[in-house]
Amino acid sequence: MSLFSSAVKKPITTALIFVAIAIFGIFSLITLPIDLFPHIESNTIMVMTSYSGASASDIENNISKPLENTLNSVSYLKHISSQSRENVSVISLEFQYGRDIETATNDVRDKLEMVKSYLPDGASNPVIFKFGSDDIPILILSVTAKESMAGLYKIMDEKIVNELARVNGVGSVSVSGIPKREIMVLCDPYKLDAYNLTIEAISSLIASENRNIPAGTIETGSNTYSLRVQKEFGSSKEIEDLVVGSYNGGNVYLRDVARVVDGLQERSQESFINGQLGGMVIIQKQTGENSVQIVDKVKEELPKLEKNLPSDIKLNVIIDTTENITRTIGSLERTIVITLLIVMLVVFFFLGRWRATIIILITIPISLLASLVYLYATGNTLNMISMSSLSIAIGMVVDAAIVVLENITSHIDKGSNPKQAAVYATNEVAMAVVASSLTTLAVFLPMTLVSGLAGIMFRQLGWMVSIVITVSTLCALALTPMMCSTMLRAQNKDKDAGWYKLIFTPINKFLDWLSRTYARILDWALRHKRIVVAIAVGILAAVGAICGPLMKSEFIPEQDNGRISVTVQLPVGTRQEITRDLALELDRRWRAEFPEIQRLGLAEGTADSDNMFASMRSNGSHIISMNISCGSMEKRKRSIKEISNIMMSELAEYNQIRRFNVVAGGQQGGMGGQTVCQIDLYGYDFGATDEAAAQVSSWFKELGVKQTVISRDDYIPEYQVDLDREKIAQYGLNTATVATFLRNRINGAIASEYRESGDEYDIRVRYAPEYRQSMKDVENITVYSSTGQAIKLRELGTIVEAMTPPTIARKDRERYVSVTAPLPDGMATSDMNEAISAKIEENGLPAGVSWKIGGTYDDQVQTFKSLGLLMVLIIILVFIVMAAQFESLTYPFVIMFAVPFAFVGVLIGLVLTGTPLSIMAMVGAVMTIGIVVNNGIVLVDYANLNRERGMGIIRAVVDSGHSRLRPVLMTTLTTVLGMLPLALGRGEGSEVWRGMGMTVAWGLSVSTVVTLVFVPVLYTIFAAFGLTRKRKKALKAANQTQTIPQNS
Amino acid sequence: MKAVFIAYNEAQGAAVLEALEKVFIKGFTLWEQVQGRGSRDGEPHLGSHAWPTMNSAMVTFVEDDASKRLKERLKEIDDLKPALGLRVFTWTIDED
Repeated sequence: MSLFSSAVKKPITTALIFVAIAIFGIFSLITLPIDLFPHIESNTIMVMTSYSGASASDIENNISKPLENTLNSVSYLKHISSQSRENVSVISLEFQYGRDIETATNDVRDKLEMVKSYLPDGASNPVIFKFGSDDIPILILSVTAKESMAGLYKIMDEKIVNELARVNGVGSVSVSGIPKREIMVLCDPYKLDAYNLTIEAISSLIASENRNIPAGTIETGSNTYSLRVQKEFGSSKEIEDLVVGSYNGGNVYLRDVARVVDGLQERSQESFINGQLGGMVIIQKQTGENSVQIVDKVKEELPKLEKNLPSDIKLNVIIDTTENITRTIGSLERTIVITLLIVMLVVFFFLGRWRATIIILITIPISLLASLVYLYATGNTLNMISMSSLSIAIGMVVDAAIVVLENITSHIDKGSNPKQAAVYATNEVAMAVVASSLTTLAVFLPMTLVSGLAGIMFRQLGWMVSIVITVSTLCALALTPMMCSTMLRAQNKDKDAGWYKLIFTPINKFLDWLSRTYARILDWALRHKRIVVAIAVGILAAVGAICGPLMKSEFIPEQDNGRISVTVQLPVGTRQEITRDLALELDRRWRAEFPEIQRLGLAEGTADSDNMFASMRSNGSHIISMNISCGSMEKRKRSIKEISNIMMSELAEYNQIRRFNVVAGGQQGGMGGQTVCQIDLYGYDFGATDEAAAQVSSWFKELGVKQTVISRDDYIPEYQVDLDREKIAQYGLNTATVATFLRNRINGAIASEYRESGDEYDIRVRYAPEYRQSMKDVENITVYSSTGQAIKLRELGTIVEAMTPPTIARKDRERYVSVTAPLPDGMATSDMNEAISAKIEENGLPAGVSWKIGGTYDDQVQTFKSLGLLMVLIIILVFIVMAAQFESLTYPFVIMFAVPFAFVGVLIGLVLTGTPLSIMAMVGAVMTIGIVVNNGIVLVDYANLNRERGMGIIRAVVDSGHSRLRPVLMTTLTTVLGMLPLALGRGEGSEVWRGMGMTVAWGLSVSTVVTLVFVPVLYTIFAAFGLTRKRKKALKAANQTQTIPQNS
Repeated sequence: MKAVFIAYNEAQGAAVLEALEKVFIKGFTLWEQVQGRGSRDGEPHLGSHAWPTMNSAMVTFVEDDASKRLKERLKEIDDLKPALGLRVFTWTIDED
């Protein structure tokens, strides 16, 4: 028994099976977490090796090179790059997307094991790090306080950090910008010298005074007492009263030579939120956890935690990476609802019966929900790809049901009993329905096989649409006939209500007129085949010639997520006060100038080493880093790209700024990040590559780029104390002891820990700030020899200004420097690549420097290549499916002519709207192949049918056009109009999928218009050709049978 | 005694069986999914690409008056939905 006859015979079972699918789907929908993109495993591994004392070039030759040479043979490696700087070598291995990172790590570990013995003796064991998108903080909170500032670190640590770290899925919580409490003993060097004291002596004294020591037990009478010396400092005041020495018979107290400050650490990173000093709480998630869920949980906790805080402490969100995710998914949800409404209207418009409309539309939620079950079962998320797949699929899922319903209706109208008509009518079209679903599957299933970055993005799209199409076909073959058998009645035109006639009489008249006009055009075209073919070829050639060169390409469109990050570098060594002034000036200026800015968080200064996140970013007293949040793009006029362009030109006005980097979207490259053009310059000679980088940078500026970033830092100025070995030897000193003296005075010595209510605070002894400000102060530092003789540092050596060479960066085993430029407005990646390549070719680079386009260009080329291959594969598959359906090679060939016109439509659409060809648009073009042939199939199939029923070729074709125009228009319109919300979307994240919606809409519309005329003409030509051949054969056979008897 | 041969669109199956019941005919032989084409007009029922519908064929042997009543009933069905096509042929048969 066939599927549909059992479905019609058992309506309850059938209905409940689909209800069950829907329930599973709803359950999945409720429990599915949301995310921006499908989970992408990181593809980078870092290997860090330290070799203390070695210079950058030593590190390069002795560590980086041997490691690179060995690691280069790890399989699936895409790029290997290294950073060699003083003491440290960091090698990054970039693997091809989709490579299992665990296996890659093991391979790398094996190789490291092999090469370890060849590394210099003093080098540490290479350590492997994995760094991925999971390490990016998901939530950054700002903390501002007034009265509680002094104790803020402790309050935050106890009341916020510990509590938040307990939330499920939170990886690490760190506090930055809030100075820790520290007890500082700030000494006056002159007084120290006068009393013959040293920093070291004071430190060790403090250490030995601040002690609790058990002295054993004592037995008195029948009791045992333990005996202790309990002299740990009870308050920081006690330290001042320590006796540190005696002079001329009197006690020298610590307060005589130093002041004790119980305060906050000096010179740490400061952060401001909207101009107000405060700190940041940085929250990272555990690997593989869902950001949105964690942030929701954290936000739930926050009000509870805030209650326990002193009233002057305020917590605010600075960066919430999930805001954009939630908004994007929200705008996709709206898109899906709009699409649903549009499809509903189109179906109702064409069918004119509400019962039929319901039968068709019920397949949409069921197929969509079924695909959610897949997402749930495979542990995926509701993300941009899976949601836009749903939106794409809506227009296509109704096609099969429409065909089935149409045939059932015509049988019922002829007088069949609905129950039986449902079975027989479905039986008649089942093959055609399955075949047209197969052509769609032929497009989407191969997508699941694509490798690389595109594979990660489109595997889900492929699976989702394939599942939706499969389920909708099942629906059309089981649910639709079942519902038709119970719901449809023979149409009684006279019984229709007045309003119904009012609306649908003109519609039907219009559609009939359209069919008749089309039939007339077709009739004319069939009689003027040459002209039609000439026009078609002309269109193809003209569009190819005109639009082809105008087309631009890019990788992944930039997404406006409302975030801008700015890094400003002043000359190295700029004092923090000056940096702070500039930072606050920029802060005030921008917040006044851009009302779009909701929050502006900035940080300057050197980060504490215990703040993982802050210390990983570049930091220093001369660096300002800003995080700007502009809110949803729907609520502002200027895009973040425009805003950041203005910021770039404003930053260029400041002469004191050495370099700056404004990144719209908060990240470069990758998914939806800022698109940049990157030129990699390879060459061994620093001078030559530096010169080349400066040249390329100036060419970029000539092309309208506002900022360029050269990857190599300049030589960094610093002071070096050059000790004279002979002199220090004379005093019985060595370099290490002198260096320690120096360090204890400038950086300070941690003497001991001050304990208070369970917490420990450092007691740091050093020179008071006013005595360590100039070179003179350093030269005047007193060093004591082993015999106790006081010597000034200037007697032991000289202080010289020196330049530290920059980090040596290598990529693919060659020294390189990269120049990165964000694209100016209205320029696509392909434009910029061409323009800059032309400049480089024209002007040439210094000898020994070679260049290559870097950045995401590699990924782009590779992805386009694999999508191109996919396209060929899909064309072949679609052809095979059609050839099997028609059992002919000619008809599929004829239908395939729709494909070039789809590309013509795509080209026209891209050029007219100025949209670059991104991978999304490319995927749209690939999808179009499977959809455009469906119209051809319907037309050719019906023309064949007419011929089998005995019509002549031309009549068969015209009649097929006349009677099939409605279903063709209906399925095309549901698909094209279903794409419109995607193509015209202005919501969050719409930049990414707009290209896809647009290519499908344009490709399908243009190809439908052209193929409605061109394919029938070609059909006639080939059919006539086939007929003539058949006749000739018959004639020949007849002649032969006649001639044979004559010969014998 | 008459032999009644009925050829009809399979969509009419239920109606034909009902007609048989109405005139109290119990016995019949039925072939489902058979091909057929009318001599004068109407669509062929060939189960092919061009003519996808199929016929059913039935033969029943009844008394003369039952055959008459059956023919009337079947005529009514055919008149109701002429597009589907239903034809009845009878011939006299020996009773032994």
